[in-house]
Amino acid sequence: MSDLAPSKPYIWKNPLSVWGTASGNSEAPSTRVPDPRDTWRKNTTFKVPTHPVGRLKYFLVWPHHGNRTWNRMRWWPTRRNLLNVKGLYNRKTAIPEKKILDRRPIYWVLSFFLLLIGPLLFPQSQMNALLTAGAAFGIFAAINVCWTLIIGTASIFSLATYAVVGTAAFVTSLLSIRAGVPWYALPPIGAGIGLGFGVLIAAPALRLDGFYYALLTLGLNELFRVFFTTSKQFGAASGGLYGADSFIDQKWPPLTQSMVAYYASLCLLIASLFLFRFINGKRLGRVLRMAPEKHEAFAAACGVDFKRARITIFLLTSVALGFIGGFYAAQYRGVGYSIFDFQTVLLGLAMITIGGIGRAEGAVFGTLIVIFLRDVLLELGPWRYLIIGAAMLGVVLFLNNGFFGIRRQFNAWRAKKRGEWRSTRTEKGGETLPEEATESNDKDALYFRRFDKVQRDYLKGLITPEAIEEHRRQPLGQHSEGLERILLYFRRAKLDDKYALHRAGPQGPYKIIAFSGVRGVSPRLVDDREYGTLDDAYHAVFMRRVHDLLES
Amino acid sequence: MDIAFVIINAITVAAIYGLIAIAVSITWSSLGLVNLAYGFIFSFAGYAAWLVSTEISKDPFLIAGAGILAGAVGGIIICLLVFIPLHDKPAFTSRGMIATLAISLIGSQLFLMIFGPNSKSLPDIFGRWKLKFFDITLTADKIGIVVCSVAMLIGAVTWMRSSRRGLEIRAMMMNPHAASIVGIGIRRTGLYVMALTGAMAGLASVLLSQTYYIAPFSGLTPLIKGVSIALCGGLGSVQGAVIAAILLGLVEALTNKFLGGQFVLMTQFLIIILVLMVRPRGISGLVDKAREQ
Repeated sequence: MSDLAPSKPYIWKNPLSVWGTASGNSEAPSTRVPDPRDTWRKNTTFKVPTHPVGRLKYFLVWPHHGNRTWNRMRWWPTRRNLLNVKGLYNRKTAIPEKKILDRRPIYWVLSFFLLLIGPLLFPQSQMNALLTAGAAFGIFAAINVCWTLIIGTASIFSLATYAVVGTAAFVTSLLSIRAGVPWYALPPIGAGIGLGFGVLIAAPALRLDGFYYALLTLGLNELFRVFFTTSKQFGAASGGLYGADSFIDQKWPPLTQSMVAYYASLCLLIASLFLFRFINGKRLGRVLRMAPEKHEAFAAACGVDFKRARITIFLLTSVALGFIGGFYAAQYRGVGYSIFDFQTVLLGLAMITIGGIGRAEGAVFGTLIVIFLRDVLLELGPWRYLIIGAAMLGVVLFLNNGFFGIRRQFNAWRAKKRGEWRSTRTEKGGETLPEEATESNDKDALYFRRFDKVQRDYLKGLITPEAIEEHRRQPLGQHSEGLERILLYFRRAKLDDKYALHRAGPQGPYKIIAFSGVRGVSPRLVDDREYGTLDDAYHAVFMRRVHDLLES
Repeated sequence: MDIAFVIINAITVAAIYGLIAIAVSITWSSLGLVNLAYGFIFSFAGYAAWLVSTEISKDPFLIAGAGILAGAVGGIIICLLVFIPLHDKPAFTSRGMIATLAISLIGSQLFLMIFGPNSKSLPDIFGRWKLKFFDITLTADKIGIVVCSVAMLIGAVTWMRSSRRGLEIRAMMMNPHAASIVGIGIRRTGLYVMALTGAMAGLASVLLSQTYYIAPFSGLTPLIKGVSIALCGGLGSVQGAVIAAILLGLVEALTNKFLGGQFVLMTQFLIIILVLMVRPRGISGLVDKAREQ
């Protein structure tokens, strides 16, 4: 072959010719045989360019802690672990070590710590704006966590979430203003209203599926907006209903008021995250994870009452949303009509979409981004909404499940690309495709094919005009090393389709035939050419095999 | 305020919202896209017609043509931005819906930035004549609205029944997968469908601005009405949408007369919910899964 080192020509002398017992040529021009190990190395090296970064599972590994390697910290009365930690012996070094398998609790704690000390980090000039935005963030994040529970866990595509919150807030504000209900009673009353509302709009959810329900709730949202803005009781003129009792005393200095609002809404967010954890992570959530969209029939056949689970989640979440509505009224001393705006629904949808539907961290992260854009970067003016809309559109177009779905999407994409690359660099001839290799039980055959390929690559380099000429002159007897190696390989070939000679008459002529390889099946005639002498016929068979070798 | 007046009003309103309902319905059944950006297309077409009427000419055909053309262009924009990139991605239906909502968010803000919050009005394109018919006075805009929307509807339905492109769209409605196997380009058909439905929304916009105004957020009410009618009539069914439009128009008119304006949405949604509880796929929607993605 051309890519092997060029063989040097020399005159080969038959070593047996000295004793006069030699058959075959006494000398012949030949070529030096290259080292077979070069071909071997060339075939077995890994030719794909590799980078130091791969799919390493990146774990934080702690050194062992003596006897405490296998100890875990637990939440006190339960057997639940504080962290998903695995103690094990390192398979290479045999040293015991600890790995944190799930690092998300650490990130949650860190981010809450940041939110907790947030007021210390805010610049003094923007303290008030940031505290107000932080309070809005807490409440909206709590709403969105509940919403993602409805859309993600219960897969009920409801767009009436803000209508539930708004209704609870309006009714509790009205009660507080008219009947003097104190602030601490507002959230529980709101929860009751949320329950009633949930029962009302859950009834169609039993019959409708997916997008029919989304369209219906979109209409319901509009219905409530129109109802509240046009009704006389809810103060149609002032753009909202204000004057409810609040836990924030107006006699406090403004900074204290903002601080109290900030930390109160942070507590609300934590409470809603616990709700998410206790619904999504426990029985209800697990039941519904078995019944994703379009597989409901299968889940039902397995005995999962998914409708009941969905409606339960919907009602529980409606209670929570009503509670948030009451809290909203108690914090802001009332509520504005803007909560029913289509714009609010769109912004809320942007929040949960950007982070990723169905994940608490997605809801919180998306809310953080959107609230930051909307309430902090005020100098951008109307561009803020354009940026939010563009972010929402971009996320929906390019990401399967928001920001926190990037990792899984990237891994899937990389696995796909890897498969493509692997199939493009698979070498033909002797190599087996990975799928075939894993399915075949005869690994010996796989190794033999690889070895055979390496050998054929080597032998191709030995086929030179000199070798062919040497064989033509004397097909039998002692040959030079290169030719001898070729002939040994040919002689060792399997019997199926191996060439042989057929003598047509007592003295020739000869024809080339090929064995069938099957007992009882006669050989086939390869072609009609006849050869007068046996040596000619031998050489013709040789040429045919050389041809086959170079073809392979 | 007699019953005839009420019924005429109902028919006029039903004609306009019916156009949007049929647009929503056709888009859903042929493309599987829940297009909630018709509000955006609505305002887009309205502003285009307004620009033509102020900058170029007050010719009624030109204004209506501009509205229809702009609606078609708006539909094609949605198709290029949402349908073509998303239609073969996982969770297309929900992502498509969210994407159209994002477009309506961006669109309304853009209109607000470019045209300002003040509402615009179109000139009367049907003139100011009246027609006495027994005791009933029919004003020009009412007759014009009904005639135009019925003509548009008949034209669209005829086109869908008799042309090659319409055959492709109907094949997509039946089974999009099989349609693509027999050589109907999903993306190309998507463009036709969106252009057609966008043109319907554009016409509805021009017609509605005979009585209302064009504002950045004015597309929301027609969208919600249209979606409710489509929902009630059954997504994917033209005759269902027509029936639902007449039914809801009647409910609106009767509520206006007997209960008062603020109860219109309430009675309408009560009717819609009642219809959907009995027939979850709408009045004439298929009872089983209408369209498998």
